[in-house]
Amino acid sequence: MPERWSDYLTISMSALAVGYIVYEIDRRRRKLHDLIDVLDGEDAELTEELVRMVRNGELRPYTGATLA
Amino acid sequence: MQEAVVIEPPSQAAQRDSPVDEEPRFQIFIVDAGWNSPARRVLHENFGMLRNLVRNDPIYVLSRENSIEFIHNHPSLLGKGPAIVVHDLAALREGGATGFHGFRLHLGLMRSEELALLALELFARFLATHRRSVDLEADVRRNLRREGIIGAIEIILHHEPRELGG
Repeated sequence: MPERWSDYLTISMSALAVGYIVYEIDRRRRKLHDLIDVLDGEDAELTEELVRMVRNGELRPYTGATLA
Repeated sequence: MQEAVVIEPPSQAAQRDSPVDEEPRFQIFIVDAGWNSPARRVLHENFGMLRNLVRNDPIYVLSRENSIEFIHNHPSLLGKGPAIVVHDLAALREGGATGFHGFRLHLGLMRSEELALLALELFARFLATHRRSVDLEADVRRNLRREGIIGAIEIILHHEPRELGG
């Protein structure tokens, strides 16, 4: 057990610092996953709709140099 | 909108990994409902470079009407556009759409042109350098994990966080 108040303070501040780092890493990880998301089974409908649009000829490879 | 197209030669890695007549590995879809945003401006201004970097892979640009209809059908994209959806043709051939089969960049989440450009550059580089990957899912997840670790190191060292996540 710590014997001095300064030890308590050091331990508390260290715990706060670690907590902040963990929180910040988690926040960034979630934002990054929002930004770049993998396509998996949950996105099957989205994917199938795009594939269908290509098959139907509704979408064709874009050949322009700039976006309209 | 004023469009300034910047066309730069692909990086050495991209040239090495993307011979001119290589089979397409990806199908790239641009879904943009037309919100006037910094991300949209960056996409328009740098589309030429993106196209050069992924020149072996077809890019499909949904019209504004198609994009709105598509977003209406898939509300998870709402407020995140322009979005770039990438289908991994190898994964789709192997396992269909039930497992991992690509990834998408929600460029619209980047609220400044600087961050949107950074995200687009990283995205284009990833596409250009991983088109021969045998396990794209692992590569994507490894990159995301690495970004997290770099972020942690930056926080610990009190460096200016890159804040790619916004």
